[in-house]
Amino acid sequence: MTHPVSTVPAARRSWRVVDIVVAAVIAVASGVIFWAWNLAYAGIGGLFLFFPPASSIVTGMWLFPAVLGALIIRKPGAALFCELVAAVVSAFLGSQFGLTVLASGLIQGLGAELVLALFLYRRWDLVTALLAGAGAGLFGGINDAFIFNWFPEYTTAMKLVYVAGTTLSGVVIAGLLSWLATRALARTGALSALASRRAAQEPVFG
Amino acid sequence: MPADPGTTAAPAPPYGAPSAALPAARGGDGDRAAAVVPAAVSARGWGWRHAGRAAPALRGLDLEIAPGERVLLVGPSGAGKSTLLHALAGALHRDEEAEDFGELLVDGRPAEDSRGRAGLVQQDPETQVVLARVGDDVAFGAENLAVPRGEIWNRVTAALEAVGLDVPLDHPTAHLSGGQKQRLALAGILAMRPGLVLLDEPTANLDPDGVLEVRDAVVAAVAATGATLVVVEHRLAAWAGHMDRVVVLEPGGGVSHSGTPGELFAEGPVRTELIDAGVWVPGHVPVLERAQGSLSGRPGQVLLSAADLAVSREAARPAHSRPAHSRPAHSRPAPSRKGPRPVLSGVGLDLRAGEAVGITGPNGAGKSTLALTLAGLLEPLEGQVRAAAELAGGLPPEPFRWRAADLVSRIGTVFQEPEHQFVASTVREDLAFGPRHARNPRTGRPLFTPEEVERRVDGLLDRLRLGHLADANPFTLSGGEKRRLSVATVLAAGPGVLVLDEPTFGQDANTWRELALLLREELAAGRTVLAVTHDGHFTAALGARTVTVGAGTGGQQRAPGPGLDTSSRSMLDRSVLDQSVLDQSVLGRSVLGRANPLGKMAAVLLATAGLVATLDWVSAAVVVGACLALLPLSGVGPLAFLRRAWPLAVAGLMAAWGTALVGNDSGAVLLDLGIFTLTEGSVAAGAATGLRGFAVALPAVLVMASTDPTDLADALAQKARLPHRFVLGGLAALRLLGLLAEEWQTLGMARRARGVGSHGSPGARLRANLGQAFGLLVQAIRRASRLAVTMEAKGFGEAPRTWARTSRFTGLDAWVLLGGAAVGAAATGAALAAGTWNLVWS
Repeated sequence: MTHPVSTVPAARRSWRVVDIVVAAVIAVASGVIFWAWNLAYAGIGGLFLFFPPASSIVTGMWLFPAVLGALIIRKPGAALFCELVAAVVSAFLGSQFGLTVLASGLIQGLGAELVLALFLYRRWDLVTALLAGAGAGLFGGINDAFIFNWFPEYTTAMKLVYVAGTTLSGVVIAGLLSWLATRALARTGALSALASRRAAQEPVFG
Repeated sequence: MPADPGTTAAPAPPYGAPSAALPAARGGDGDRAAAVVPAAVSARGWGWRHAGRAAPALRGLDLEIAPGERVLLVGPSGAGKSTLLHALAGALHRDEEAEDFGELLVDGRPAEDSRGRAGLVQQDPETQVVLARVGDDVAFGAENLAVPRGEIWNRVTAALEAVGLDVPLDHPTAHLSGGQKQRLALAGILAMRPGLVLLDEPTANLDPDGVLEVRDAVVAAVAATGATLVVVEHRLAAWAGHMDRVVVLEPGGGVSHSGTPGELFAEGPVRTELIDAGVWVPGHVPVLERAQGSLSGRPGQVLLSAADLAVSREAARPAHSRPAHSRPAHSRPAPSRKGPRPVLSGVGLDLRAGEAVGITGPNGAGKSTLALTLAGLLEPLEGQVRAAAELAGGLPPEPFRWRAADLVSRIGTVFQEPEHQFVASTVREDLAFGPRHARNPRTGRPLFTPEEVERRVDGLLDRLRLGHLADANPFTLSGGEKRRLSVATVLAAGPGVLVLDEPTFGQDANTWRELALLLREELAAGRTVLAVTHDGHFTAALGARTVTVGAGTGGQQRAPGPGLDTSSRSMLDRSVLDQSVLDQSVLGRSVLGRANPLGKMAAVLLATAGLVATLDWVSAAVVVGACLALLPLSGVGPLAFLRRAWPLAVAGLMAAWGTALVGNDSGAVLLDLGIFTLTEGSVAAGAATGLRGFAVALPAVLVMASTDPTDLADALAQKARLPHRFVLGGLAALRLLGLLAEEWQTLGMARRARGVGSHGSPGARLRANLGQAFGLLVQAIRRASRLAVTMEAKGFGEAPRTWARTSRFTGLDAWVLLGGAAVGAAATGAALAAGTWNLVWS
């Protein structure tokens, strides 16, 4: 049995209450996961003492809610909303970036959102997920290195290495992991109230 | 209708002193309560197919419920009872994938269009609460129905009184017990003045006291308002006597029986039919085939013993943060010191082979904590848990020190929520997981050969009638199947001791009976069974010795400490997020706590705008100094502040190091590392970079620590005019933060009990962490879906709403803004004067 690749009639694009609440809770749960991993891996920072720009390879974790939320909710603005709520959560939990985390969340979410908009919110396959992760990582990296410019004394080459790192991290952690997680979640039946309920049966490409 | 009809009404009571501003309108209020018009329900050939499902949940339902009638709705699981209630509550929506049949009317109008006529309470207490404070939560539904502000607070106090919930309006909802949460949910519904009250297994997750507490509140409230009542329940004894009619649904839809409780529950074919379907008919206890006498009388040697044991969930921290066994058993932590406080202490207990022990006691007495400690999942706070050599099988006697893979073949623990323990994507793989990972600790070789694993799995599939589901995803099973599977997965590795936490909660009579039979077989085979349970029939069926904990008997109960003002917050672990949004003790008292969140955020932007633009140590130092000077205004104590600020300092040092290492070099070389060099110039730049990052983040700590999320949401929706559905959806999700953090801890223990450990190769550890994260996401999404139904049933949607509390700007906010601007100007001025101003984009 084949299901048509989701075509999205206009009515399906509006947000229902369940879409809003699930999206926000995904962001909050992601916040809890970051928080727990931060405790567990407090020492991981030491790995990056040797080459600081390499720290960018784990930033994909912070971009995870944007892509996961979008793949699960499948509504315009989902990436943006999830990343913003995640930013608010980290602001409440105490972020090392202060309130600028809200601006960062907005920009990272926008990076993923633009990619999904380019696909007209019709495609939710692996390629879309990877590209959305890349978009979030690229925007986030550019924001850190060139807009807020957290490392003004890095050479331009180092900054570019950093941006490449965030982009790659976005592809793997935010893109690939989110896509795998969405399919696994669909298999549990937890997504039955959501547009992604059949994600596990959808083709990988297409 | 104007968007905010309440503007001219009485102002909302200020946070912290809510009763002061309440108009004395109780008399008038009573009149309005009497004005509730009971609703009529009419289903004609009604049915519903959920999106993505092949078969309808319900079809061909014909049912008439008269106004004011009290109906108990029963039927086997899968009969569509919840679907019917959700539809009546207006929480089901037609889209191109879902399908409806026939018509379902409330007062002659389609149920979908009858927003506010019906109120719904569901099973899971955690997702019946929407907001963080009791008063706000009760007001939520009335706000959504655009009840004028002054009227809302009258309704809130009247509703809280009606359900007998005597707590302040600003009491944290997270501190309520399960029974209190369900009464809170009922109050929220009464404040909507619905003509139809719908209860979907409202007491299935509660202990016997909680069941009666909620039942009495429902009966009293419905008697006072005359509203129509529809209750779905599995355990009928508590409800039957208060109902006019019992309606029995058959699987797939349709009414099979309808009559008074007396008619249907009397001895006869209907009663037998209900019993066969697993319904807990009043007076019925499942009969077990074998004689009970065969169980008792031959307990063997002691397998596991506890001596002078004190337990706490707060001990569940990473091992390095506490000294192992450094405290002598007789010492007590100094009461003034902040540290884990035992929920239960002085416990002595011996568990013998072939013996069943039931642990009972009041809510919050520490029963589950005790069981988890005995099971080697929590470290004893004081005293010892020792396994006999026969159980330990060559390992040291403390079960908490065992690796997960060793634990599963010795002590098995079944958690209350089966989904916490599923670790594989099919039933078969899930059963095989434990035996496959069990190792002989001496040789390090697998305990079971692949053939033995296969045999054990097949045996259990057969024994628990799960064979036809071997390839199904465990998460997709029915409630009873999940319970059977969760017990089976723990039995699979053949542990000598089996620990179960409330195994019969929410289970129908058939699952109950199967569970009892299964455990009796285990007992007969010489294993020990320890069950935390309120279910006296269950302990009797196992022939269990009962140990009561709590005041007096099995151990002494410590009084809750300061700040823990209710008796029943056993589930909330403060250590988890003690520095987070849950810590509201400073809010509302400090100067910054009273200021409008938007004003505070604007002040932070003003204070740090210069820092974002420049890289210099002078302006950063000015901002850091100002923050420390303003600390008293935030009400955050120096210690609490340090706890929040130290990660920022670490991040600052990291940034400093990074820049010193790879930044542009200038001046004398201090250290040559080959590719990189540290120079005077790069170190100075590093210091400035680190200090800048620290200074940008610090003001936000001050502001967020003194900001209540509810106040922020009020400000965002009312002042910043952001769409209220998204703001309040985010706020409701934020409330789950503490709950999900607690669930993360529980998942860690539940998965350790399945053999998933934090040991092993980095790859194995990463997989374990990802698995735990996945488990959390499943629970989060399930909770979110239920929370969404709760919110929608309370009228939450796009329609204009009122706000019980107004967000306002006051003179204080002008000072806050001015203060922020002054700090920003001082920082920039100082840097310009010192000549260190240095634009980052140049």
